[in-house]
Amino acid sequence: MSFPVYPIWISDLAGSALMILFSFLCVRLAGKLRDQDRTNVVWLYLLSVCYVLAAFAVSRSVGHIVKRILITLDYENAWTLVRPYSGAINTVTFIFVASVTLFFGRVWKIYQQILQDKQAIQETHQQLIFMNRNLENLVAERTRELALSERKYRRIFEVSRDMLAVVRDDGTLMTLNPSGIEMLGLSSDDISSGRRLFQDFFETTDDWNFLKQTLEQMGYVADTEISMKRADNSCFSGLISGGVQDQPGENPGSHHFLVKDISYRKAMEQQILQADKLASIGQLAAGIAHEINNPLGIILGYTQLLIRSEKENSQNSEDLRIIEKHTRSCKTIVENLLSFSRRSQTKKAVSRINDVMDEVISVVRHHFELEKIGIEKEFDPRIPVIAVDEAKMKQVFMNLIMNARQAMKCGTVRIETRYDEPGHKAVVRVRDEGTGIEPRHMTRIFDPFFTTKPTGEGTGLGLSVSYGIVKDHGGEILVESEVGKGATFTVTLPVLEQTISVPAEDGAQRKSQSGS
Amino acid sequence: MKERAIPIMKHFWRRAPGPLAVPIISLGYLLGFAQAAMATQGHGSPEGLYAHQIAHILFAFSLGVLIYWLREHSLIENSGWRFVQYGAFFLLLWNLDAVLAHHLDDRSDLFQLIDGGSWNARVHFVDNSTKVVLLYYFAKLDHLFCVPGIVFLYAGLRRLLQQVQQSS
Repeated sequence: MSFPVYPIWISDLAGSALMILFSFLCVRLAGKLRDQDRTNVVWLYLLSVCYVLAAFAVSRSVGHIVKRILITLDYENAWTLVRPYSGAINTVTFIFVASVTLFFGRVWKIYQQILQDKQAIQETHQQLIFMNRNLENLVAERTRELALSERKYRRIFEVSRDMLAVVRDDGTLMTLNPSGIEMLGLSSDDISSGRRLFQDFFETTDDWNFLKQTLEQMGYVADTEISMKRADNSCFSGLISGGVQDQPGENPGSHHFLVKDISYRKAMEQQILQADKLASIGQLAAGIAHEINNPLGIILGYTQLLIRSEKENSQNSEDLRIIEKHTRSCKTIVENLLSFSRRSQTKKAVSRINDVMDEVISVVRHHFELEKIGIEKEFDPRIPVIAVDEAKMKQVFMNLIMNARQAMKCGTVRIETRYDEPGHKAVVRVRDEGTGIEPRHMTRIFDPFFTTKPTGEGTGLGLSVSYGIVKDHGGEILVESEVGKGATFTVTLPVLEQTISVPAEDGAQRKSQSGS
Repeated sequence: MKERAIPIMKHFWRRAPGPLAVPIISLGYLLGFAQAAMATQGHGSPEGLYAHQIAHILFAFSLGVLIYWLREHSLIENSGWRFVQYGAFFLLLWNLDAVLAHHLDDRSDLFQLIDGGSWNARVHFVDNSTKVVLLYYFAKLDHLFCVPGIVFLYAGLRRLLQQVQQSS
C-alpha cells in the first residue's frame, strides 16, 4: 500500500511561502504598534517576537523551498551539502523565538509596574499643578478650618462643666479650664504662674501615686473615684479619667485629665442608702412594737385594776404604781416606734406652717430665755397651706428646736420658713450654732435609739420619730453640718395646690391661695 | 555579589607573585607535561537531530508559558490577545507535530520512498505499519498547523493595532 507524496510537497511549498508572507506582515503590524507608543514595553516585546519569528520563518521556509527545488532538479548532492546549515540555522532560530517568547510574563509585569508608576506620577503631577494654582486658596481654607476647629475645641474646653486639665509629668498644672479653676477654688493667675501642682489638690497622696502608676503602666486611667480638696481645704468627691499625651506636637511627658464633681451624686446615693436602711429598720420596729403594744396594754390594765384593790399608800400600791409608770414609759417608746415606722394614725388637716411654727416657738421661748439662747425667726408669708397632722408636726419641730438648744451653750437658733415655688414645697430650716455633728454620726442620726447624749438624757428616738412623721407627710428631712460651726436641719413638706379654706382662730373662715 | 568579588580578586592579585605568574605556570605545565588529552568530545550525526528536537520542545514550552500568562492576566478577554493566544496554541501543536515527524523521518523499517526525486514519488508502507505511517503522512502536512498559527498572530496584532488607534 502506498500514498502519493505530492500533497505534502504542495503544502510544504505553499505553506512555506505563506509563513514568510505572514511573518513579514506581522513584523509590519508590530512595527506600527511600536510606532503608536515607542515607550510601550509590550509592543517592543511583540516586535521582537515578530522579528525572530520572521527570521525563523525565512530560515525554515527557504530551506524547505530550496530542498524541494534541488531534489526536483536532481541536485540531491547539493541539498546534502546545504541541509546541515539549513537545519542548524533553523534550530538556532527556534531557540531565539522560544527565548524571547518566554519573557512575556516578566515583560507584562514590568509593563503593569510602569503603568502604575506612570499613573502615580500623573496623579502627583496633577495634584502639584492643582496645588500650584490654588495654593493661596488652599492655605486660606485650611487656616479657616483650623481656626474653626480651634474655636470649637476651645469652646468645649471653656464651657465644659467638668474640670479639664493638662498636667506635666511632675504634676505642674499647665492648663486648666474655667470649670476646673472654679472647682478647685483658684484664680486664672494661679494657673498662669505655673507653680500649682495638681497633686496638691488630692486629699491623699496615695490617690495621685495610684494615678501616676496606672498612667505609666496602662497609658490611661478611667473613671476612678478620688477625693479632692479645694484651695480652701474643703473636700469634694471626683471621678477622674485621664491619659498620657503621646501625639506628635504635644508636650511630651504630660497628661490630660477630666474630673467630674460627684459630690452631689454621692450625697444623693447616701440619702437613698439612708432611706433604704431606715425603711428596713422601720419595718422591723413596727413588727416589734405591734407585738409588744398588746401585752403592754394588758399589763397596764391589770396593774391599774390591782392598784384599785390595794389600800392607798400601802407598800403594794407603791410597787404597783412603779410598775404602771414604767409600763407607760414602755408604751410611749412603742408609740414612738410606731410613729417612726409610720404605722400610727395620722389625722391631717389644712394648716399654715408659719402658724404651727409660731405655736412651737411660743412653747419653747421661755426655756430659751432662761438659758440665754436667742431665737431668730424669718417666715415667708407666701407659703400656701399644707395638709398635716398638726400635733405630729409640732412634735417634729419641737424635737429639732430642742436638739438645737441642747447642741449649744449659747448663741442663737435660727428658724426660717421659705416657699420653694418651683418645687411646690414649704421649707423649714432650723439652724444652730452648736458643736455640729461628726461625719461618722451623720449616717446614723436618724436610726432609732441612736444618741450621742449621756445615758438617761435621751432615748434616741426623737429624730427617728421626726423622720417617720415627715416621711408620712410626703416630705423630706435633711441635715447639713460642719463640726464646730453647727448643724442645719431642713424639713420640706408638699403644699396644697388648690384654694382651701382654713378655719381661723376666732372661728371665722379665712382663705389662702396656693403657690401654683 | 559583585561588590564582594572585586575586593577578593584584588586581594589575590596583591598576594600573587606577579601578574604574569599564573599564565607562565599554566603554559609551562601544558608544554612540559602534556599527553594525549582527548579534550574535545566528538559529535556524531544524531546530536543535530536531538538539538533540533529539544529546540522544538523548548519552543512548545515557551508557547505554553505564553498561553498561561495570557490567561493568568485575563488578557484573553481582549479579542486581540485572544487571537494571539490561538496563534500560540497552533504553533505549539505544530511543534509537537514536528517532533513526531522528525522522530519518524528516515524510518526505512516502516516505509520506503519510491521515485523520491519526482512529482510521482510515493510512500510505500511496509507490512503492519499502516497506522504509524498514516500518522507520519499526516504529520508531514505540518503547515496545516503553523500557517494558521501565524495567521492568528497576524489577526491578533491587527486587532491590537486597531484598538490602539481607536483609543488614541
